[in-house]
Amino acid sequence: MEGIGIFLEGISKAFGLILSSDPEILRITVLSLEVSMVATLVGAALGMPLGFLISSRSFHGRSLVVAIINTFMGVPPVVVGLVVYLLLSSSGPLGFLRILYTPQAMILAQALLTFPVVCGLTISSILALDPSLKETLKSLSAPRLWEAAILLKEIRVGLITALIAAFGAAISEVGAIMMVGGNILGYTRALTTAIMLYTNTGEFALAIALGIILLILSFAVNLTLTIIQMKYRKRR
Amino acid sequence: MASAGVILVVLAAAFFGAHTEKVIVATTTSTSDAGLMDYLKPYFEAQYGASLSWLSLGSGQAFAVASRGDADVLLVHDREREEQFVSSGYGTLKVTVFYNDFVIVGPIGDPAKASSHDVKICLGRIASAGKSGNALFVSRGDDSGTHSLEKRLWSSLGIEDYENSNWYISAGSGMAATLRLAGEIGAYTIADRATFFSLKGSMGSALKLEVVCEGDTALLNPYSVVLLNSSRHPQIREDLALDFLLFISSHVGQQLIGSYTVSGQRVFFPIYGSTQSIGLPPEDEVVAIVEALRSQGSGE
Amino acid sequence: MAHVALRSVRKSYSEKEILKGISMDIQRGELISIVGPSGSGKTTLLRIIDGLVPPDSGEIRIDGNRLTKENAPTIRARVGMVFQKPLLFDASVYDNVALSLKFRGVPNDLIRKKVEEALDLVKLKDLAKRNALTLSGGEAQRVALARTLVYDPDLILLDEPTANLDPANVQIIERALTKANVEMKTVVLVTHNIFQARRIAKRVALLLDGAVIEIQDTESFFNRPLDPRTRLFIDGDLVY
Repeated sequence: MEGIGIFLEGISKAFGLILSSDPEILRITVLSLEVSMVATLVGAALGMPLGFLISSRSFHGRSLVVAIINTFMGVPPVVVGLVVYLLLSSSGPLGFLRILYTPQAMILAQALLTFPVVCGLTISSILALDPSLKETLKSLSAPRLWEAAILLKEIRVGLITALIAAFGAAISEVGAIMMVGGNILGYTRALTTAIMLYTNTGEFALAIALGIILLILSFAVNLTLTIIQMKYRKRR
Repeated sequence: MASAGVILVVLAAAFFGAHTEKVIVATTTSTSDAGLMDYLKPYFEAQYGASLSWLSLGSGQAFAVASRGDADVLLVHDREREEQFVSSGYGTLKVTVFYNDFVIVGPIGDPAKASSHDVKICLGRIASAGKSGNALFVSRGDDSGTHSLEKRLWSSLGIEDYENSNWYISAGSGMAATLRLAGEIGAYTIADRATFFSLKGSMGSALKLEVVCEGDTALLNPYSVVLLNSSRHPQIREDLALDFLLFISSHVGQQLIGSYTVSGQRVFFPIYGSTQSIGLPPEDEVVAIVEALRSQGSGE
Repeated sequence: MAHVALRSVRKSYSEKEILKGISMDIQRGELISIVGPSGSGKTTLLRIIDGLVPPDSGEIRIDGNRLTKENAPTIRARVGMVFQKPLLFDASVYDNVALSLKFRGVPNDLIRKKVEEALDLVKLKDLAKRNALTLSGGEAQRVALARTLVYDPDLILLDEPTANLDPANVQIIERALTKANVEMKTVVLVTHNIFQARRIAKRVALLLDGAVIEIQDTESFFNRPLDPRTRLFIDGDLVY
């Protein structure tokens, strides 16, 4: 019974926080959104072309490369966080950048999480294409760039799915940004790290409230992408 | 089919577990991170035949979990909250059992020249260097026992506006993460001796921090065992919780705690029955109750 | 010089020999039909002529030039291929046809003129703006033919282009092919429909189990076949 009470309290608190537009909560929410969106775009900017290259050429060890990428789709965020921390730490190889415990470090860590997701899903979208599509393009003497443009257009629904999955992975993770962002109040505190903090401090209702805000945010982004996806889905 | 049945039985057995009696201690990250619980576990289990497990939580969460009946006993270090917990009926008895001490640490070379035996002088120097842009201070910012102590120290100095200052960083993180953050950005912070030295032991020179203040009685941090009110949550293993308290407060338990070291440093100091030695009020009444319970137990 | 010359072309897929040494000449400007039962190797033969798959052994010469992996893209630019199941792109009918010209860097004003001509030829002018993926099977195949004819290939390869199409669509396609042939384009039509071969081909070849059994002008092929199996095939009595 008490547990249900905390949920109800959390829900009413969530709407209270949204309505009151508490500046700190707003800042936390905006930071979460910014970091995860940029990380998704960075991951996509690298993952889509690479996925395209891997899936459109046959070379020795391709299955191995694809299996590795698919494995990294499920890498624990905290492991990525640890690796980025070690890289960016002042005694690490990239320490000179001085970006540890900044939003940039959080973006870097999450981009490493979104990259394999986008890359892997791009590969599977292309591999799922009708093989005669490539043969038709070849037979019509399509130059490489045209071929790429047409294949990308054909898999756009899959690419949006990749974006949805990547953003979902980014916005919901806590392990990586906790480690490289430091959960600093007013600077690197994001929704998930704040939820963890309030859980540690026993303020469960507030933690639930932030969880609800996170879900609403995630829902809004997914709804937008899904509408685009539906609009562009093939009429085949 | 037969093998599926076997798998099901094995899974069920794994899920419901062997029926050894188990006491669950809700404690703070400081005791478990320092390895104290791991160290005490075999001694307790050998003596009482029950298994000892613990939840390593933030202080606030430890109290919240205990008040919901999800643990059998508390081992915490936040005096104010302990008293509140008992007076509001969630706990029945609180006994101070040992203490550890805190240190103020800062960048190697102590650029703010904060070093002092007096913690008030030390923190005052950090604050004034901070105001002139020459120092940073990282706070746990997580409502932990350490965070409470830090807040008490600032207010004892008469510094109130620190939370909105540029030199004050609220990390919202555990002790080790906060120390790493301070080391990376060249900031001062307050840490329990155990975590600082165990991190220093594992990170070596990569942790660019050194002690600038230690030994002040204001930096001593007493831990208490709090027994829970089982009338609120009947599933609490009151008997095993009492065993845990009797073990910690026993001669053997106190000696074990006192001889435990981290990176060659003793980090926890037994204090059961002699709280006045570190400037706390005496607990004669509580000790009398514990001893009565102890003799009752051995008389059975 | 033959437009297409095949010499001892062999091809196997996972131990099964699909083409067992095909040799034949196809003259410039002729409309030849390759007939044969399913699985006789017709499709593989076309794919080899288009350079989409290399033969295991033997050689293919197009206009006297030996087809290799290196020169296949250049040669293929003058060759058109229409597959049995047309794969159109998710775009308008107009754009689908225009794409073949865009691939070749043809200027836009010329593209417009050429695409309109090609669509006119297959009677699809009215559907120019429709998304190609919403078309019926017959309309889709006509788009596929138009996007091949639009770049004026010298050699047109067709793999069962009218299988499962209704007579109206078949007629449009056959007329377009006959017209292309009149313009001195070489047409190689793979079909299992002997009536179609008889209607439009000048020469017919029978491919059976990876080998050319008979190759004659259409009239002789149907009336005076040299190989008894050809007679059986024509009469539908070939048990295969």
